[in-house]
Amino acid sequence: MFWWKSLFRKRALEAQLDTELHFHIEKLMNDYIALEMTPEEARRKATLEFGGREQIKEELRDVHRVSFVETAIANLKSAFRFLRKSPSFSLTVILTLALGIGANSAVFSAIDAILFKPLPFPNGDQLMRLLQRQPKLKSPNTFVAPARLEEWNRMNSTFQAITGYYSEDDSETSGALPEKLTHALVAPRFLQVWGVAPALGRDFNLEEERFGGPEAVLISDGFWRRRFDGDPAAVGKQLHFGTYSYTIIGVMPASFLFPLRGVDLWSVSAPDAPYARSRESTWFNVIGRLKPGVSVAEAQANLATVQAQLGKAFPKTDADIAVGVQPLKEMTIGGARESLWLLFGSVSLLLLIACTNIVALLLARGTQRQHEMSVRFSLGASRRALILQLLTETFVMALIGAALGLVVASGASRVFRSLAGDLPRVEEIHLDWRIVLYSLVCAVLATLLCGLFPALRGTRTNISGSLAQASRTQVSGRHPLQWLLVGVQVALAVTLLAGAGLLLRSFQELGRVSPGFESSRVLTFHVSASWGETADMKGLTQKINRILDSLRALPGVEGTATSAGLPGVPVQFQTELNVKEGRAASDPKIIVESRFVSPGYFSTMHIPLLSGDLCREDPGNLQVLVNRSFASSYDAKSNWIGNHLQIPGNSFVGAGEIRGIVGDARESGMNREPSPTVYWCLTAPEPDPHYLMRTGTEPMAMAETVRQKIHELEPGRSVFEIIPLEEHLDAAFAEDRLRTVLLSFFAGTAVALACVGLYGTLSYTVNLRRREVGLRLALGALRGQILKQFLWQGLGVSLLGCAAGWGLAVASGRLLSGMLYGVTSSDVTTLSGVVLLVLVVAALASLVPAVRAARVEPMNVLRDE
Amino acid sequence: MHRDEILPGTLYLLILKTLARSGEMHGYEIANSIQLISDDVLQVEEGSLYPALQRMLIKGWVTAKWGTTAGNRRARYYQLTAGGRKQLAAEVSQFERVIGAITRVIETA
Amino acid sequence: MPIEKSELLQGTLDMLILKIVELGPVYGYGISQRIRQISKEVLKVQQGSLYPALHRLEKRGWLAAEWGESDNGRQAKFYKLSAKGRKHLASEESNWHRLAGAVGHILQTAE
Repeated sequence: MFWWKSLFRKRALEAQLDTELHFHIEKLMNDYIALEMTPEEARRKATLEFGGREQIKEELRDVHRVSFVETAIANLKSAFRFLRKSPSFSLTVILTLALGIGANSAVFSAIDAILFKPLPFPNGDQLMRLLQRQPKLKSPNTFVAPARLEEWNRMNSTFQAITGYYSEDDSETSGALPEKLTHALVAPRFLQVWGVAPALGRDFNLEEERFGGPEAVLISDGFWRRRFDGDPAAVGKQLHFGTYSYTIIGVMPASFLFPLRGVDLWSVSAPDAPYARSRESTWFNVIGRLKPGVSVAEAQANLATVQAQLGKAFPKTDADIAVGVQPLKEMTIGGARESLWLLFGSVSLLLLIACTNIVALLLARGTQRQHEMSVRFSLGASRRALILQLLTETFVMALIGAALGLVVASGASRVFRSLAGDLPRVEEIHLDWRIVLYSLVCAVLATLLCGLFPALRGTRTNISGSLAQASRTQVSGRHPLQWLLVGVQVALAVTLLAGAGLLLRSFQELGRVSPGFESSRVLTFHVSASWGETADMKGLTQKINRILDSLRALPGVEGTATSAGLPGVPVQFQTELNVKEGRAASDPKIIVESRFVSPGYFSTMHIPLLSGDLCREDPGNLQVLVNRSFASSYDAKSNWIGNHLQIPGNSFVGAGEIRGIVGDARESGMNREPSPTVYWCLTAPEPDPHYLMRTGTEPMAMAETVRQKIHELEPGRSVFEIIPLEEHLDAAFAEDRLRTVLLSFFAGTAVALACVGLYGTLSYTVNLRRREVGLRLALGALRGQILKQFLWQGLGVSLLGCAAGWGLAVASGRLLSGMLYGVTSSDVTTLSGVVLLVLVVAALASLVPAVRAARVEPMNVLRDE
Repeated sequence: MHRDEILPGTLYLLILKTLARSGEMHGYEIANSIQLISDDVLQVEEGSLYPALQRMLIKGWVTAKWGTTAGNRRARYYQLTAGGRKQLAAEVSQFERVIGAITRVIETA
Repeated sequence: MPIEKSELLQGTLDMLILKIVELGPVYGYGISQRIRQISKEVLKVQQGSLYPALHRLEKRGWLAAEWGESDNGRQAKFYKLSAKGRKHLASEESNWHRLAGAVGHILQTAE
């Protein structure tokens, strides 16, 4: 398969043919000159007599060409024969390569889809994000006012069109129960910028983009199938949001998921609406499509110029605004780049290690085939032909491995999508011809890496001499490099296994932790509300209390409450508190977790009251409860009850009176010790807090009842995100789970590779020392001794590897310590368990070659002399 | 054996000579005779014999007629023509020249 | 029929080439000259048959080739017999004698 070599050879061949034939003609010419012809006549006669030179050259080329194809086919046939003859060997190599190439292809497919491919829009490279910065503000990156967006669009010279979007949740009320939908509000020219047309129906027209014009929406493919079963007659139907009605004018293609993955509908936010006129409103995320041939720098400069003009025209609002233009693709994928390349580096390393193992295996095989090679040499085969044949065998195995690897890779893309849902563009990962091509390239590279050295070694010409001579000169068979590699692989396996083991034990410990509250059989949900309702806090609180009371009255409900954050889901809100009664200057600052809950929270979540009273909702007198950690951490006052706590600078929440002390609960995550916490008894800290409901039976069974009941009370609101609390707690650890799964996978692979490497290297050693073993057996050595000797060779390297691995694991354990719970990074039990496992596996891997060594028949080996 | 065991280019020669010697023969007899007389050294396959006979028919070196064999089967019997006899003489002389030349080269060693 | 197109010559060309090369390393032109000489101009090998035959024999390992300086100072491709080629030549020769003898025998039978 030396295609490139044959290209050079072709030119050399042509030159040689020319020279050879030309020489003949010259000789003929000389003959005729000797017969006293003139040189021209001689040349003419010679050329004539020689005949068609081109035809002869063509025939000669054929002679050389045809044999190449024939040898290739013959090589392939013998390669398949070889594979069938030694199935376990071929299977090991194929599976190893399948793993290595498959993992590599999987990661490459992710990298290709996420990093390389342009965004899935026509001329996706033209799409830009336009940013607005107001450096004087604490959070300077702000959303853009509609008026400014329209001016940017009108006044710039580098963009085809500029548009913007934001999203909110809305309750759609045309169904039996209100349904919460994700509603994207967009500026005009939205579809124009993206370059996507609706799959069904049409884009917004000018009328619909004006204030007071007909209300129109585009719906997403997902919503269309959910609500209308994919019926084309959906176009023209109406959707109702409270008092507003929108007509459906079209359905977007299934692949269009902007601005959010779960978006259900798009409608236009009219720029000429009265409420949209203010230059200080911060609404839109802005994107634009560049004109062809314009660079990002030009667009940035132009936009800055435009903004400068606006700054002069509206100094009060626009003078301090800085602008930026960034490729949309970069903003989407920027964060993932590093982790993806890191992953790619790891799997490439994996492939390299797999290849070194295969080199060992092939070398071991090579020593067994020396007889076959010497016979072929005596039959006249050239060394190059034999090397080609050996490489073909390796290539066939690599090809099959790569094909299997593609199966692995396709499964892996599904794994990516389920485990790493946060990765940008993860839905675009799939196998296509580029990945197949990449696998092919990997197979070729693997063939060369793995097969070249053993092929060269296996076809040394002095083999056609005596076999015995070759092995006599290598009686030590020590090959330190190969054993070093095995040791390294064992060390790696131990390290990765230790890491995975520690993470698994963390999960175990977390399961054993007592959370301080009861998380089973609690249903959580949201009821839609808008921020406008906070104008009337009393009314809002009454409405929410009414909901809570009605729900509690239902059969099967044991308690209801609201809370700003979900218990046990890691969200931190730490504040410094002042004590109204004053504290000594020397007392430590009070920095606590603040949580906002309704009074029913504690009985619903089964958090015990330790002293004092439970709080009550009292509009005039805000009440709080503190937990035990708080009381014991800040023990300056022997009795906290009756004192008032205050969040400095927060006018919304006044001073709260401490009414009692409750037990500790792991509010901010299972893996954190309970910290000092203050519970502020506010039923309505925000318009739509989390609702918690303790049920007597399976929580989801009550979901419909809840929706119906709330619909009775508040027909205009929708109930959404009805999920058992335990599902939230599970999801909170999804990232940890992903890490654990990945690490376990790498660990398992490392062990498998170390196994293969150990087996291969030991086999090779055993084969090299066959004569020596046969001699010793003939001279009276016991088979048991031989077995033990080789077993110890394998175990010895493994022990050294494990020792190195232990050290490496302890050193790198620091990387993991942030993710661990309940175990230290140098936990002895885990480490010893891992080492034991690896040693057992190593012993098994070494056993087979050791047994083979012990089974050597002295007569067979010595006869070969 | 699926290939003829004869000197390359001597098929017509052998067939012509055999027919010259034996008058009328059918295909099988021709092949048999060649084999017999050469002590099994020379062997002609049917796959080359019959096409050769066909070509010789077209060139007018032989004629053919249908008859019955000893085993009471129908077979085509071939016979040399005058043209065929002339061809035989030419082939023999050419053969002897070439074989002589080749032999000279071979013996030089 | 011109002798160059003789099937017999074509069929025995390989053997003739090997035989000539047996005498010592020689380039293509030299081989065709020698054959002409020894056969007293009866056998004229065409270049169109000679060179493909030479390259084929080289591919099969019966001839080994080496570039060297010829008597007129130019680079020429010299062919020589390999060990394999020697064995093959021997077997071809014995075969030839057998067949040629048999054909001759048939030709001698009376008409």
